[in-house]
Amino acid sequence: MSLTFSGNRALVLGGTCELALTLAHSMIESDLFPLLTYRDDKGLRAIREALRSFHGKYETCYLNFGDRDSLDSIFTQIGDDLNFLVDFAQGNYESLIAGADEDSVYSYFMENISFRAEILKRVGRAMLKKRKGRLVFISSAAAARPNPGQGFYAAAKLASEALYRNMGLELGERGVTTVILRPGYIEAGRGRIYLQKQARKILEMTPIKRAITGEEIAQTILFLLSDSAAGINATEISMDGGLTSGK
Amino acid sequence: MSRTSESGGHMEVFAELKKILEELLDLEDREIAPETLLIQELGAESIDLLELAVTINSRFKITVKDDEIFLTRFRLYSTEAKQQGKDAVHYVAGRYPFLGEDRIAEIMAHIKEGPQLKIKDLISYVTYRSQGV
Repeated sequence: MSLTFSGNRALVLGGTCELALTLAHSMIESDLFPLLTYRDDKGLRAIREALRSFHGKYETCYLNFGDRDSLDSIFTQIGDDLNFLVDFAQGNYESLIAGADEDSVYSYFMENISFRAEILKRVGRAMLKKRKGRLVFISSAAAARPNPGQGFYAAAKLASEALYRNMGLELGERGVTTVILRPGYIEAGRGRIYLQKQARKILEMTPIKRAITGEEIAQTILFLLSDSAAGINATEISMDGGLTSGK
Repeated sequence: MSRTSESGGHMEVFAELKKILEELLDLEDREIAPETLLIQELGAESIDLLELAVTINSRFKITVKDDEIFLTRFRLYSTEAKQQGKDAVHYVAGRYPFLGEDRIAEIMAHIKEGPQLKIKDLISYVTYRSQGV
């Protein structure tokens, strides 16, 4: 199946993670132009290293979740010319609820929920001007089935899902649509480390008896961005090999 | 948008707003005047107002705060003033500095009839913001 896209400029939040870089490769090969966000020099170097053979086919921009000036500067840099948003950004705060540090909780939710709402407002308004836009939020199977210690992570993911879902409800009639992808265990980034420690247990729990690959996720996101998937709006899709469907 | 004179500026803003509304709303040959009620007469819904704010922002190159331009908190401010024993017109005018006290009083007198936002209020907002306020 060959995919077609309405537009080519895609802002990729959390652009330094392994999945985002895999996606950026696929995007460039599909003639999309990724704008990848980074929050420190290390991240910027990771992007440049991973995409070194694609000079001029992508851009980078500084964005630090919680830093509103950095959001302003992104829009100064890219203007309103934006067709897609793919959101991988997510801070991690692992703690039992009853053991959590209050200050960390407040700042975690501010950065991962309130700041995301501000991003959505800005991006939504930019897309509204064109009456066209597609947003994909990368959530997690842990949003639905968290492990102990993942309560804050799950709460932030579920709240963010709600923001994306409503955006699709509210702006769908103006051509701006959203979809949420919930990957399960992935052989990439944080997932890979976890998998190494828990491989047998996870394979037993997952009906397809394997983890999802980064390449599979990237291809699915490309499909979700394409015109073929335009009817999928304001909803979430699980991509976890069936992990969260059983018990 | 340059302003040749106070009234000239208003006329230019009105003409541009009229054009925008004709593009955004299904007006079915309805006449638009500064006194036209945006929500009650033109049937603008919240999604229309959002799109209007975005379009005004890009056409006039001004910052638009949706709560301000659409007088979203008008009733809330009136109630606040009463609760605090303050003069409501004066209090609300402080929140909406682009509207005169006469206009605030006029809105208060009719607010029970439904949303009172008029095209002329949008003109006032755009003119006010265009002055760099």
